[in-house]
Amino acid sequence: MIHIDRRLIKNFDWVTLSIVIVIVFIGILTIYSATRPVLEEDGYSFYIRQAIWLIFGIAGLFLMVSFDYIRLSRLSIYLYIIGFISLISVFIFGREGMGAQRWISLGPLSFQPSEFFKLFYVIMLSHQLSSANGALRTIHFFRLFFLVVFIPFVLLLKQPDLGTALIILTIFLSLTLARGIQRKILILFIIIGIISLPFIGTIFWEGLKDYQKNRIIAFMEPGVDPTGIGYHINQSKITVGSGKLFGKGYLKGTQGPFRFLPEKHTDFIFAVFSEEWGFLGSISLLSLYMLIILRGLKTAIDARDDFGRYLALGITFMFLIYCIVNIGMTLGIMPVVGIPLPFMSYGGTALLSNLISLGILINIRTRRFELFH
Amino acid sequence: MLNTVIIFGFFAVFLRLIDLMIFNHKLLSEKGQQQYLKAEEIQSRRGIIFDRMGRELALNVEMESLYCEPDIINRDSESIKKLAFAIEKEPKEVFAKIPRNGKFVWIERKLEPSLSDKIKRLNIKGTGFMNEAKRVYPKGRLASHILGFVGIDNQALEGIELQYDKYLRAKGGKVFLDRDAGGRILSSGIEKEVKGNNIILTIDEGLQGIIEKEIDKAMLKWRASAASVIMMDPFTGEILALANRPSFDPNTAGRYRDFEKKNRSITDLYEPGSTFKIIVGVGALEEKIVRPDTIFDVSKGGIEVGGKVIRDVHKHGVLTFKEVIQKSSNVGSIMIGLKLGKDKIYKYAKLLGIGEKTHIDLPGEVSGWIHPPERWSATSLGAIPIGQEVAVTPLQILRAYSAIANGGFLVRPHVVSEIISPEGEVIYSFNKMEERYVISQSTAETFREILKSVVWEGGTGRCASVDGNEVAGKTGTAQMIDPITKRYSKQKYVSSFVGFVPADNPRLALIVVIYEPKGQIYGGVVAAPIFRDIADQSLSYLNIPREDDTGETLLVVSR
Repeated sequence: MIHIDRRLIKNFDWVTLSIVIVIVFIGILTIYSATRPVLEEDGYSFYIRQAIWLIFGIAGLFLMVSFDYIRLSRLSIYLYIIGFISLISVFIFGREGMGAQRWISLGPLSFQPSEFFKLFYVIMLSHQLSSANGALRTIHFFRLFFLVVFIPFVLLLKQPDLGTALIILTIFLSLTLARGIQRKILILFIIIGIISLPFIGTIFWEGLKDYQKNRIIAFMEPGVDPTGIGYHINQSKITVGSGKLFGKGYLKGTQGPFRFLPEKHTDFIFAVFSEEWGFLGSISLLSLYMLIILRGLKTAIDARDDFGRYLALGITFMFLIYCIVNIGMTLGIMPVVGIPLPFMSYGGTALLSNLISLGILINIRTRRFELFH
Repeated sequence: MLNTVIIFGFFAVFLRLIDLMIFNHKLLSEKGQQQYLKAEEIQSRRGIIFDRMGRELALNVEMESLYCEPDIINRDSESIKKLAFAIEKEPKEVFAKIPRNGKFVWIERKLEPSLSDKIKRLNIKGTGFMNEAKRVYPKGRLASHILGFVGIDNQALEGIELQYDKYLRAKGGKVFLDRDAGGRILSSGIEKEVKGNNIILTIDEGLQGIIEKEIDKAMLKWRASAASVIMMDPFTGEILALANRPSFDPNTAGRYRDFEKKNRSITDLYEPGSTFKIIVGVGALEEKIVRPDTIFDVSKGGIEVGGKVIRDVHKHGVLTFKEVIQKSSNVGSIMIGLKLGKDKIYKYAKLLGIGEKTHIDLPGEVSGWIHPPERWSATSLGAIPIGQEVAVTPLQILRAYSAIANGGFLVRPHVVSEIISPEGEVIYSFNKMEERYVISQSTAETFREILKSVVWEGGTGRCASVDGNEVAGKTGTAQMIDPITKRYSKQKYVSSFVGFVPADNPRLALIVVIYEPKGQIYGGVVAAPIFRDIADQSLSYLNIPREDDTGETLLVVSR
């Protein structure tokens, strides 16, 4: 049986949980608005499905708080292997959707392994970084890079899931920097990076699917053809811009439900929210995200041990990148890389994985005073 | 370090939000609206114009108009030549209509169904059809001066169409419909067709048909330059029929010249001549200066006023007041006028509505004029009593005679009796004004008797007498002013007859004015027979019983 400590309840991070639940509810309302039927024949139930996923997610969150997170450190290698296998399995069993092979069908549900792989990856990375003593040595750094980072990075590119691929790379760099890294390794890494850049760049560019190339071109020149590749970005800007100071009001938005804005309930949900709630609503929502991230940062600083510190940092950083990149692409200041907005975008796996990640974060914070276990 | 990233990241987003949502809001939301708002022309349909019995005089027919999208159409294609051929135009003409680029341009409006079918079969890329309502006047020239006409965009240009445009016209304009990215229209329940109000005229198509036919006959017979006929209910002022020549077909109004389209019975002035003699006559009776049997010695055949001698057409001996009117003696009338004096003449002219608009509900009415007494010249007293030196419209004279017919009040002539909304609600109906008596009933009655004698043996209007009913009326013959010499013409005359029937129980007041008849000039010869023919047919059309019918024969008929 799970032992529930009084102190556990006392120290539980209710604030973070409440903020996130508020965000999820805002998300569900916005999903409803974005997909609401404007003609009789349309009938979508995305918001109901998202609500069901929320229940699972909350359960998963509490499950994640119920045990000491240090166990994850011991399990990290197994979790990583499971995550890795599921990532490979996408190529065998996966089904294609929206030009990418990201989903696995499990009965009636479809499942996106890369969502969970990220989390396992951060756990693995934290375990590796916390278990090494002293400054990170060259051999250690590159072994870590090739075994833990590079192989999944290539696999994710192949899927292709450009967003997640870039994020795991970024998390690796930021965590190793936070861990402390010898200057010569950093310089070496950067030199190797620069030398291989044209080479990798070509492979990278060749490896991209057309739609990915288009997105990058579109980011550079959104005005080229508004109905073509830049369409997405222009529509998103129009949607956000229509909001003005106070917004059009809930259920008054047009661009999403009228299907001008693609991916309105998934990657571009922030735009739909901005249109209806305006500038003030948008910065309020931004503040909520910022609160979670600052609190995650505090959790990392206050963490009981190194593993907890890296884990909290990795998860927080993941949220941060997701928020900034997603909102950034919605506003046309980042390329369209197709990553969801945490806790708001429609998508069961992502919501579940984000709530579980949050559970771990709360776990770390809750147990910051415990010395032994 | 992470803090810096967080702050930088959120700050960038914050700045961008301000940029998009505050500074660029207008531009972006306009772009958005352009996408999801689709402007659609509301199809507006003008109200229908009916005659008093509910017969349609103006209605709408749905027709198709051909447009093209210059951006899409291939300007050099063979198909444009075919298109031009189909609409019976030169290819050059069609090419000229299509600019190099653009979204929309009309090529030919309101095509005949057979033509539009033919063009549809050509199936030319970049062309299309739009439904438009064409205003159609099913009776052609009938009552055209009353109905008026509309332009190609159904804009009101003349007649009832113009006068009552704000009722007939349906507020068209545009509706903005929401549509989604797939072009599906998302709004429902918005009216895309609006109808104007329907108008019911006082005109009777049957009576109108009679006068149209008779006026045509008269024009032919007298080779006249123009003519006007008005038929009115003398008690209510309802115009029952009104026609002018020349006239036009409102369906193709663009092909006619202005003088053909004008409603000269209210827009043109003429000198009334002898029909004006009732002014001095009525005035003298009202002022009790004369009695019907007062004697006037006109045996000299002429009278000198202000150094100018005015003569009678025929020499008469001694005439009673009644006979002066019956035989239309100029000398007698001037004698009465001299007795009455210029102030009184002016007063009674004004009272009977001379020089003032009748305020009929048709556009373009003129007031005419009679100079105030202080501006009269020395010869005026010899001219005005016999209907020269004044300018009137036929309708003004008819209204003055209607006052005799109805016992002494001035009616307000009108052509619209009711306006009915598309939902069937009456939104306007002619308010009968308070009967303002301008002359006493006894004078009206006396004068009615005098006017009856005009069509008797010895009167000038014998030709106007109708079989079975008694007519009261007056002939008129006036010289026209030559527009070049500005003097009275020796060749150009206006012949008229005005009166009402049945004389003792008037149902119809009718004026016939013939301009420049050839061969004969006198109202009694030219206009009176037309009056008779119209009155005769109209009485039987209206089933007005003959006064010489006895009750017995009626009983027999009803058995």
